[in-house]
Amino acid sequence: MASTGGGAYSYSLTVFSPSGKLVQIEHALAAVSQGTTSLGIKGAPYAVRNDIRCSLIYSASNGIVIATEKKSSSILIDDSMLEKVAVVCPNIGIVYSGMGPDFRVLITRARKSAQAYWKMYGEYPPTRVLTQEIANVMQQATQSGGVRPYGVSLLVAGWDITRGQQLFQVDPSGSFWAWKASAIGKNMVNAKTFLEKRYNDDISLEDAIHTALLTLKEGFEGQMTEKTIEIGVISVPTAAELEEAPMSAAIGRPKPTFRKLTEEEIRDYLAL
Amino acid sequence: MSIMQYNGGSVIAMVGKDCVAIASDLRLGNQALGISANFQKIFPVSDRIYLGLPGLATDVTTLVNMYTIKEEREIEPETFAHLVSSTLYERRFGPYFIEPVMAGLSKTPSGSFKPFIAATDLIGCLNFAKDFVVAGTASEKLFGVAEGLWEPDMEPEDLFETISQTMLNAVDRDAYSGWGVVVHVM
Amino acid sequence: METSFALTGKGYVLVAADTTSARSIVKMKIDEDKIKDLGSHLLMAYSGEPGDTVQFAEYVERNIRLFQIRNNYALRPSAAASWIRRSLAQSLRSRKPYSVNLLLGGYDVAAEEPHLYWIDYLGTSTEVPFGAHGYGSYFALSLLDRYHDPDASLEEGIATLKRCIDEVAKRLVVSPGKYKVKVVDKDGSREIEI
Repeated sequence: MASTGGGAYSYSLTVFSPSGKLVQIEHALAAVSQGTTSLGIKGAPYAVRNDIRCSLIYSASNGIVIATEKKSSSILIDDSMLEKVAVVCPNIGIVYSGMGPDFRVLITRARKSAQAYWKMYGEYPPTRVLTQEIANVMQQATQSGGVRPYGVSLLVAGWDITRGQQLFQVDPSGSFWAWKASAIGKNMVNAKTFLEKRYNDDISLEDAIHTALLTLKEGFEGQMTEKTIEIGVISVPTAAELEEAPMSAAIGRPKPTFRKLTEEEIRDYLAL
Repeated sequence: MSIMQYNGGSVIAMVGKDCVAIASDLRLGNQALGISANFQKIFPVSDRIYLGLPGLATDVTTLVNMYTIKEEREIEPETFAHLVSSTLYERRFGPYFIEPVMAGLSKTPSGSFKPFIAATDLIGCLNFAKDFVVAGTASEKLFGVAEGLWEPDMEPEDLFETISQTMLNAVDRDAYSGWGVVVHVM
Repeated sequence: METSFALTGKGYVLVAADTTSARSIVKMKIDEDKIKDLGSHLLMAYSGEPGDTVQFAEYVERNIRLFQIRNNYALRPSAAASWIRRSLAQSLRSRKPYSVNLLLGGYDVAAEEPHLYWIDYLGTSTEVPFGAHGYGSYFALSLLDRYHDPDASLEEGIATLKRCIDEVAKRLVVSPGKYKVKVVDKDGSREIEI
């Protein structure tokens, strides 16, 4: 076995090093931290519960923003093809930092899983359920033979009627946890420090979008335009919207709560 | 004699004002021969959902054992109805011989509860009725009596009386149902 | 024709099955034991397709024994009934299902209660105060509707069982000649002469 770098343990994915590490997973995290910066900010994290059994959440200032830097290695690349913020189902969107191809595979799995859930239950999966599904796929890649871990970290933003809006981070190890705001990728340490200073518990969606842009601007290489960033938002439906929303798949499909901002919208936010 | 009639038994669910009721008989038979007068056909799924399963008794037991749900939340009646439908349709070409009837209270976005009933056929075709749903060997009779007795916006006490009388009078005209009745009101 | 009955009483279950082994119109054997002891406090009367019956009964017997060896305690009657029912329900949707009907009588040592389960080849299972399989059931069940008493002493229970046997002997065209009767109570299971 090779003895450079992490030594003999660096090649076998499923063998712990004497210090208790799975070095391939650490290398995967290194791949993530070379990727472009992505971040997510969640508004009003405290659930407004109107009774104990009903944990329905709504408030005007509610929402989540996920955003990322979109960098192409050459000006000749048609960057309209690049997609880093992806819609999984009408209530869930994901952004990543790390390896693009790995993300594409995970998104395909996530979309399939969301459709399977729809087919079985007549509704789209809660954020937590879908996140766990993706995390399981990523975890499997850390102890199966003949594969490598996924070289991506994800920020999953979603809304569901039981838990309201939620923002999860998933790492190559398959571990996942919820955030009020977080950043991943190249500039994550600075971005997180910035977010810690800027974040407050009753931040509105509009403020969150501006904070996201300011955070991205820190350490942004080159010009920040509607072509070089992507933004996705969860907007929480109002009580009135929910009342008239279809309760069942037999009647119709739900109105999307996650959507990507258009280039025009991003340009307007940047101009402010 | 169809396999659906082999063991006998009937279930009905009805909607009232902010309440629902579901009732079944207790008979288990081998065609015309009665075997048991205490065969439960209605099962609680959660605090807010009851599931009635008339049909072939072996499949009743098999399916009840199957509906254990792994999720960290209370399932909504609508969602559960879809789950039942999907599970049955998975066996489209070798079905479980049961006709599920569901009754529950579903949570509205404002936090109140709305009555919900539904039924499916043996391959999972959903029927979301607004008044009542019936299934089993006495279904024709149940339809007739329920059509006559049911009225909108009944209070729980009236709903109990209506569903009980519907059930008792329908199973009296069906040789394969009867031998006692249970009623659940939510 | 094959007939089996069982009834519960105060602290016991009585199980009876005829002892005839027939092929077509010929009696091949007249002292066949069709009631298996599944452990110390559990009895199972089986009837149905010749071949399937013994095969399935032994399969059940060995699996229940295996459970006891592995876990150092016996399955309670309700648990045994669930396991047996599931085996039959799975078999029903297989290529060659077992055609076996059962009466499972047991004494639950933990709850100190007798239990009786009526199980058919489809996997239908229900707890009953008394039950029967075969052509004799048409006579025995109506008789038991009239005479069964869940609080009867063993002597009274045996007397009721004899009435069933006599009624079947009197009215059924092809009635079996002899019966084997077993009882299970807090002291375990044993055969009784009638």
